[in-house]
Amino acid sequence: MGVGGKIRDWFDVRIGLGDFVNVQFREFRVPRNSNVFHTLGLVTVVAYMIQVITGILLLVYYIPHPDFAFKSVQEIMGSVSFGWLLRQVHVVGSSLMVVVVFLHMASVFFMGGYRKPREMTWVVGGLMFLITLVFCLSGYLLPWTQLSYWATTVVTSIPTAFPYIGDFISKVLRGGEYVTGITLGRFFALHVSILPPLFLFLMLLHIFFVKRTGLSTPPFGLSAEQQSPWTEYRRETHPYGYPFYPDFVKKEVFMGMLYLTMMFFFITFFPTLFLPEEANTPADPLRTPSQIRPEWYFLVPYQLLKLIPNKFIGITLLILLVVVFLLWPFLDTKKEPNILKRPVLKTVFFLILVMLAVLTLWGSYR
Amino acid sequence: MKRRKFLKVLLGLLGSTIVVTLAYPLVKFLAPPEAESKTRKLVLKKSEIPAGEAKGFTFNNIPVIVINRPDKGFIALSRVCTHLGCLVTYERGKRILLCPCHAGMYDIEGNVVSGPPPKPLQKFPARVEGENLVIG
Amino acid sequence: MRYLLLSLLMVLNLPLGSLAGYREEFEREFLSKPWAGDQVEEDACIACHVAEKMDPRFKNIPQSWKMSIHYQHNVSCHDCHGGDPKDAEMAMSRQRGFVGTPKYAEVPEFCGKCHVGILKNYLESGHGKALKSTGKGPNCVTCHGSHKEDQYVKKASIEIINERLCSKCHSYERAKIMKQALFLTEKKMGELEEGFSRLKAEGVYIEEEEKGLFNIQAEFRTLFHTVDVSLVKERTDEFEKKLEPIDTKVKNTFSELRFRRNFSAFILLLFAGMGIVVFILSKPPKE
Repeated sequence: MGVGGKIRDWFDVRIGLGDFVNVQFREFRVPRNSNVFHTLGLVTVVAYMIQVITGILLLVYYIPHPDFAFKSVQEIMGSVSFGWLLRQVHVVGSSLMVVVVFLHMASVFFMGGYRKPREMTWVVGGLMFLITLVFCLSGYLLPWTQLSYWATTVVTSIPTAFPYIGDFISKVLRGGEYVTGITLGRFFALHVSILPPLFLFLMLLHIFFVKRTGLSTPPFGLSAEQQSPWTEYRRETHPYGYPFYPDFVKKEVFMGMLYLTMMFFFITFFPTLFLPEEANTPADPLRTPSQIRPEWYFLVPYQLLKLIPNKFIGITLLILLVVVFLLWPFLDTKKEPNILKRPVLKTVFFLILVMLAVLTLWGSYR
Repeated sequence: MKRRKFLKVLLGLLGSTIVVTLAYPLVKFLAPPEAESKTRKLVLKKSEIPAGEAKGFTFNNIPVIVINRPDKGFIALSRVCTHLGCLVTYERGKRILLCPCHAGMYDIEGNVVSGPPPKPLQKFPARVEGENLVIG
Repeated sequence: MRYLLLSLLMVLNLPLGSLAGYREEFEREFLSKPWAGDQVEEDACIACHVAEKMDPRFKNIPQSWKMSIHYQHNVSCHDCHGGDPKDAEMAMSRQRGFVGTPKYAEVPEFCGKCHVGILKNYLESGHGKALKSTGKGPNCVTCHGSHKEDQYVKKASIEIINERLCSKCHSYERAKIMKQALFLTEKKMGELEEGFSRLKAEGVYIEEEEKGLFNIQAEFRTLFHTVDVSLVKERTDEFEKKLEPIDTKVKNTFSELRFRRNFSAFILLLFAGMGIVVFILSKPPKE
């Protein structure tokens, strides 16, 4: 027996590691007709882990104070050895992460993975997506640049469109009339200590639900008897599927490597893609840059709000859309699980994809 | 099977290279910055600067002016104007420091009196040790 | 059923929205501007000077100013001309320090309120002495322009020494010798400025070096205002030496950027290689 075997044995005798792996991973099976999109959940976890690790390391040198925030970030980029690498990974990672999360959601939607009994998994996942956006927003202010300062000023002014309570919400967000050091403190606390545990809790809940229900079977090419109604708890065990470990894990590792390759592709060839000129200018509350746009993932609500003349309606519509998105499993009551056999839903799905693309492009080119 | 074995070895090799390639920046990132060789002290003779006079020096590559204030003793200020980086000059008569580029004016404590500078001049610790004056 | 519910919700939304109306501040910040947009500057000087009934000689002043180096650096009307831009009634009141147009011979002091170092050297120069003794020598705006007619105050550069301007008063020969004496140092500084803008485009923050260069440049140009060729030649070496550390820094930063690109490309290749190997391994072995 090699050293590795001995170590494994030592743990196995004490905590039954082999048994744990067998039950949790070998017997956890992936449906036979699974595809590449089934890997995205775990890729998302990897993406978040990268953000957590680089974020914690950046915290070593970052100073959340309006006089020092910009300077400390520039020092991380300039004089701290390899600070640029960690910050670039964190910056590029934040955008790629949104892409992966979005693909994960879109594919789950397309394969009907939100349907009974997985409504809660969808809702928790949707909440996590929203928290991700809050993560992005709060992290955006921390470098205290012209870009972050003014983007935050506008985003925090959105709630003022509400009558009566709007001003109050906006003031609470900013910690006063304007974006100041107080706002920086709030956003910093949100970014590094309020959101992470909340997010971790939701993530564990999400994974717990996935483990309890088993992975969903893609509805394409299923026979009628496989779609029997859900009246009592049963777990989809996929007895004829692939074991998660070791078969499916290899696919996951491949996708993880693909993710990292993509990330370093951007860092190598487009290092300034997410850090334009304004991101290198310290925040100046007295001077608004002429062309400031939100990050690309906020372009959809941004453009939507610009297109709708009445802001209150615009914002209410946006909130309504979010609510519909979160509660979709409860609104979708049709029996047919295969989206390809539901022309209306299929059209709506593709229309939404097209709309998102159009709004994003529109928002970035005007 | 030989091919698989080769692939697994390759995998281990690549994996360990990645670990090393990522561990190196991490260690460098957390390591303290290289001790700055330039943090030397500047020692002057007290008698070089009579009361009310000032003299310029270079300290850690920064142009510094040492002023002997008649009432409060020595003060060492950076001569780099906080506006755009020109070097301020000491106006003995008016007891101010004036930047020639855009008329930024500081008092001899380094505080901004008028003009565009956003913040006071950088101050360096100065103390008297016997007949010497030590800056830094 | 659910579509009905949704559309009902949306319809209900409409009257609510119109009841609530707009929030003025929000509209200003959101509708009229791209994301944040320009800040509205309320300036009494500009408001009148662009007005229809303004004397055409003074009407283009705001526009010339907007093209000038002063505008770029937030130097506004009252910074030079005094007065109160916040109070239209009193904007041109002498009590509020309004100066208006300086007399020809007083222009150096007018500009010298801010450009103190340059004023000092200018007054000691042939140019300055001529102006003070005969009232006819060149003043600041002779070469640098003002906001008269279609002129505007450009960023100072060696190009200002040219045949057209200099031969207004004297032969270009003397100016040419001066220009040659300045040329190499100016060129070096121009190159450094260009390097800075390239580094900035690459996302490097180099404020300290920029200020350093500005300082050297300002000092060098102050020196020029003595219009004393021998003095410029004498001190050129000194300036070259001062520019050296900035030059080294710029070069080092460029090589650091190259290193970063290579390092990250190396990691890219490692991950890609790892991905390929894992991909091959994940295929079931062929019998």
